[in-house]
Amino acid sequence: MNTLSQNRRTFLRSSSALVALPFLESAGFRPFVSAAAPATPPKRLAFLGVGFGFTRDTWYPDSKITGSDYQLSEGLSPLERHKSDITVIQNLSNQYNNEAHWGSTFWLTGANRYAEPGQSFHNTISADQVAAETLGKETRFTSVQLGYKGGDNGHGPGLSLAWNRQGKPMAGYDTPVAAFHRLFSDDKTPLAERQAALLQQRSVLDTVLEDAKSTSRGLTKADTDKLDEYFQSIREIETRLSKEEEWLDVPKVRPSEPIKEPGAGLEGVEEVKMMYDLMIAAMQVDASRVFTYRQPLDTFIRSMGATITSHNMSHYSEGARKEVSRERDLKQSELFAHFIDRLKAIKEANDTTLFDNTTVTLGSNINSIHYLTNCPTVVTGRGAGVQHGRHLVMKDPKTPLCNLWLSLLKGSGIDVESHGDSTGQIEELFGAV
Amino acid sequence: MKFFQAKFILLTLVLNVAPCGAADVPKALMPESHFAVFDKYCIECHDSLTTEGEVNLDELSFNIDSIQSAEMWQKVLNVINSGEMPPEDKAQISQKEKTLFLDDLSHQMVVAREVLSDSGGVITMRRLNRREYENTVKDLLGVEIDASDLPDDANSGGFDTAGNSLFFSSDQFEQYLKLARTALDEAFVFGKQPERRQAKVEVEEGINTRFQKLSSKIEKDFKRAEEWRATEGKKEPSDFDFIDENDVRFHERLYNQQFATYERYLSQENSKSGAMLNLLFNGAVVPTIAVPKNWPPGDYLLKVRIATLPGAESHQHFVEYGEIAANVRSGEMAVFGCVKVSASLEEPQILEIPVSVTKAGSRTFGLRQRQPNSRDAARYTFLQSQIKSGAGPNPALWIDWLELDGPIVESWPPRSTTSIFHKGMWWNQGDQSVYAREVIEQFTRRAFRIKEPSAAFIEKLYGLYEIETKKDKKFHEAIREPLAVVMASTGFLYLIEPSPGQKKKELTDLELAVRLSYFLWSAPPDEALYAVARRGELKDPAKLGWHTNRMLNDPKADEFISRFAHQWLHMERLDFFQFDFKQFPKFDESVKEAARQEVYQTIRKILNENRPLSDLLKADHIVVNDVLADYYDIEGVTGGEFQKVSLPANSPRGGLTGMAAILAMGSDGTRSSPVERGAWVMRKLLDDPPPPAPANVPQISRLSGQLLSPREMQKAHMEEAQCAQCHRKIDPIGFGLQNFDAAGIWRDTLELKKVVKKKVRQKKVIPIDASGQLPNREAFADYYGLRDRLAEQSDVFARGFTESLIEYGLGRPYGFSDESLRERILKQAAAKDGEMRQFIHALIQSKPFRTKK
Repeated sequence: MNTLSQNRRTFLRSSSALVALPFLESAGFRPFVSAAAPATPPKRLAFLGVGFGFTRDTWYPDSKITGSDYQLSEGLSPLERHKSDITVIQNLSNQYNNEAHWGSTFWLTGANRYAEPGQSFHNTISADQVAAETLGKETRFTSVQLGYKGGDNGHGPGLSLAWNRQGKPMAGYDTPVAAFHRLFSDDKTPLAERQAALLQQRSVLDTVLEDAKSTSRGLTKADTDKLDEYFQSIREIETRLSKEEEWLDVPKVRPSEPIKEPGAGLEGVEEVKMMYDLMIAAMQVDASRVFTYRQPLDTFIRSMGATITSHNMSHYSEGARKEVSRERDLKQSELFAHFIDRLKAIKEANDTTLFDNTTVTLGSNINSIHYLTNCPTVVTGRGAGVQHGRHLVMKDPKTPLCNLWLSLLKGSGIDVESHGDSTGQIEELFGAV
Repeated sequence: MKFFQAKFILLTLVLNVAPCGAADVPKALMPESHFAVFDKYCIECHDSLTTEGEVNLDELSFNIDSIQSAEMWQKVLNVINSGEMPPEDKAQISQKEKTLFLDDLSHQMVVAREVLSDSGGVITMRRLNRREYENTVKDLLGVEIDASDLPDDANSGGFDTAGNSLFFSSDQFEQYLKLARTALDEAFVFGKQPERRQAKVEVEEGINTRFQKLSSKIEKDFKRAEEWRATEGKKEPSDFDFIDENDVRFHERLYNQQFATYERYLSQENSKSGAMLNLLFNGAVVPTIAVPKNWPPGDYLLKVRIATLPGAESHQHFVEYGEIAANVRSGEMAVFGCVKVSASLEEPQILEIPVSVTKAGSRTFGLRQRQPNSRDAARYTFLQSQIKSGAGPNPALWIDWLELDGPIVESWPPRSTTSIFHKGMWWNQGDQSVYAREVIEQFTRRAFRIKEPSAAFIEKLYGLYEIETKKDKKFHEAIREPLAVVMASTGFLYLIEPSPGQKKKELTDLELAVRLSYFLWSAPPDEALYAVARRGELKDPAKLGWHTNRMLNDPKADEFISRFAHQWLHMERLDFFQFDFKQFPKFDESVKEAARQEVYQTIRKILNENRPLSDLLKADHIVVNDVLADYYDIEGVTGGEFQKVSLPANSPRGGLTGMAAILAMGSDGTRSSPVERGAWVMRKLLDDPPPPAPANVPQISRLSGQLLSPREMQKAHMEEAQCAQCHRKIDPIGFGLQNFDAAGIWRDTLELKKVVKKKVRQKKVIPIDASGQLPNREAFADYYGLRDRLAEQSDVFARGFTESLIEYGLGRPYGFSDESLRERILKQAAAKDGEMRQFIHALIQSKPFRTKK
């Protein structure tokens, strides 16, 4: 298997731009200038949210056949070559979500929209941000949120999949170009100037805080809470500046072969593929260890030739709309298979690959059409110790999705006791069914 | 008897959600009649003794008054909707009981959620939303910015003015800084006033040379191919400079696709003196003019000498103008507008189109004959015509020349510069550091509207200026940084209404001025409004009313009209779909844009002419421009301006239900959707929104794949209580609009098609039966009847409109505690013939609008 990846490495390139992935050894990679390369590669987590769910009768494997003898469904068939390295889980859901078009808002949080009296919207921290609090300490980017430009696409409110400790939405990079520049472009200015620039940025923050403090006087409770978002944002930037200061003399690591900037107009399938490749590249150079990707769906199906919207597709009936939905499922799985190919192809220390140290979940809070039970869930990667190659159908048809997040967090070495409405870990993930 | 029954139902409904006195909190009550359903089907397993699945319905209050009981009721709703309960082996709830139960419960859940999340009228301090931010920057700097990297703040279901939903993220802070720096760079203009100049292009020169080259090359290659063909395989294609036989075929194809079009073009007399606008196999004839490199950004006039060609139909007399980005393919452009050409070749006309040249833009402008805005669609149109004529569609328009004239400067240095450097250029000032402090302070006050910047803040801003000067920056470069920081500060970004020590207070005159101008203009107050507020006179009802009228009459209120209407009527749906160009060749981008404008412009006319709100339900006139009149087949309308046109008595137009935009929103770009349209009418015209689509309802799969009419589909919906609870009300309204196709054109029959793998497998044409009924059982026989029944409901329409207006204007969700406010507004407006303008007056004069809570 490994030899295949070795060879594939040389030609598995994005079709539209060249994001070459180096061996870490050859890039002379070290996460800290002061610290030696870690003896064991770091744990990583990635979450891929697809918005509207999949086609009900062709995406889910037959729930009667569980364990390792199951058959991949039509929609998952492009993952056949990775069958022993993925886990398909059924019967997970978020008990509080009643919003039939919100596939991402509560996907990683499990929150109850109405939990706060006098408020019509409430959310809590997402699993990726819990992970970032630990895994993000040692990397240049605490976490990376990827997204797209344009409509709702079945995701629901939110700026990315991520929600911070305060339950407020976190922004992401909306285009491959933006992500590329943030992750890989180096500031060419001399060190002294960059130090001065950081200092100047701190003065800017200090200045706006002065004004914000005077604004906060005499506000009502609701206004104070609102203004707190501003303070929180400034604090986040301060934290980031501190980090940048630490990393100031460490150049951004680029993959050793030249990386080309992604094309500006990339949309749909090509855009998703490029984002996947950028995630892989960022993992490889350890720019970050926590990733979320809120994926486009309108442009996704349009780039495959459909003329309907993703919402329309999600209400498929027999005929044209269902065909679009099934084609979309296939393409999604093809891209996911490509993503896994890449994970397996990139070598890390201790004779491992990215695949051995990373855990990726692909899914949505929406099952299919307007169904919110049995959220589609595929997990891959060995970073959290999941025993793959199996089809798990939870006995309790309403097992909290947060039990999965808790399991993956704990499996990745995060010290948490619960997440959202979790009731415990999913033991089946780690051992015999 | 029936009549009484209907009235009775209405009465109980009203009682259930009756506006109680302002102090009373409305209740979400499940009618006790549903005890029976619990008794019969649920209690056996879910009473206090058995509590199967930890659900105890014995103690569940039928008054849904807490988050806990709402959660339990939500569970009940979910399991019945999904068919999970009652379990298969137990007695099943009858369809009738279930329909009524679900109908009541889903509605009461909406009430309960609203009651439980009612903030009691609290207005949360609001950040400028994206468009307010853009307008405010324009007001401050005179510069138009592109803020599309900021979140668009569109709020699903609500308005983008709802303070509570306007979040702030660290990424945004950085965007604000970046945008401010760019905007300031553009605002700083120094040096001499640029001279106004003209550049003219005789368009035929470039086009003819290019076409001659292309056609002679195509012809030469074709002849070479013929020569090889003549050898009948005795010689190799390479002997004739072809790679292989495929290469030969490629050149033959090229000839067949394109040669005749170029030949015809070049042979026509009119191509010698100008450009004939035409579709080509590869794009279109697009005469262009580029702004010379050394001409500065600014406002210019694009002048075009143009005429129609003989033989063209009037539908083809429209020319589109726009910007041509670098590297687009032939025929592609970013369309700014579309205008009808009326002059003939004997007496061409000169169009003058104002365009603005920016630093970043492409700086190339062009015109083309109106065409579908997608290459696929344009090629399809070309090929359809090529089959008949051999050379594609006939050109309909002729352009003699293009001219650019500008920049047109109103004052120099521009206001953007003088308003920042208020005492003139820094090189004329004595002590630059003193002037810097002055500029910073003056700018901050202006940017902060009414907030007094603290001395410490100004000091720190000055510090930022000093840091920059130490880097050897020039004055205007160094001053940019503190000014940009002002534009990322709370005083600029938030609408602040402090109320020290108290929860509720009357707004100051200045605060009222700001709230008013962001309501009606989505922009800061102008000098006149500030002045009256500073004098402490704005709170005077007469003055407040006078300024309300003045501001509504100002073109800046178009922002309120369009953005309010867009969100109130859920017009984002108009952009959800790409319309199939083969099916709707006439519904192109220009028509879609004009259709969107029709909604806004109709409201504008209603406001300007003090017409009643109910004009939106039914009217004997229509407000259209030339493009839309052409689409509606209404004659005698010229010019791009929207104008009022009387309608014949039997016209289906006149009123929202006859507008192309509204009808297109109720489709999926291919088919009209009675469900979408019916639900929209209930939400927007009848103030009776169906509850949100329930999750987990089993899909009716029995009928999948069959060729069913919408009415047959509805019948199926009626079989399942989960569907019937809403669809029994929604669908019958939607049927009344079936005479309009997906793009809003009238039809008498309906074509049903079954498409499998992009092929039509089955087809059937049925007559349209547009009869139906409103939820209040008022029946109608056809579309005209529906429109009349709706027009009779102008009271409930006004109620829904008022609730949305309150929500938009106060920047918070409409709550039950607003009912007395709503009733007062309705009463005041009714006293003045229901004039739309009076609703706005009544809200602005109301206490909640003048109070911070």
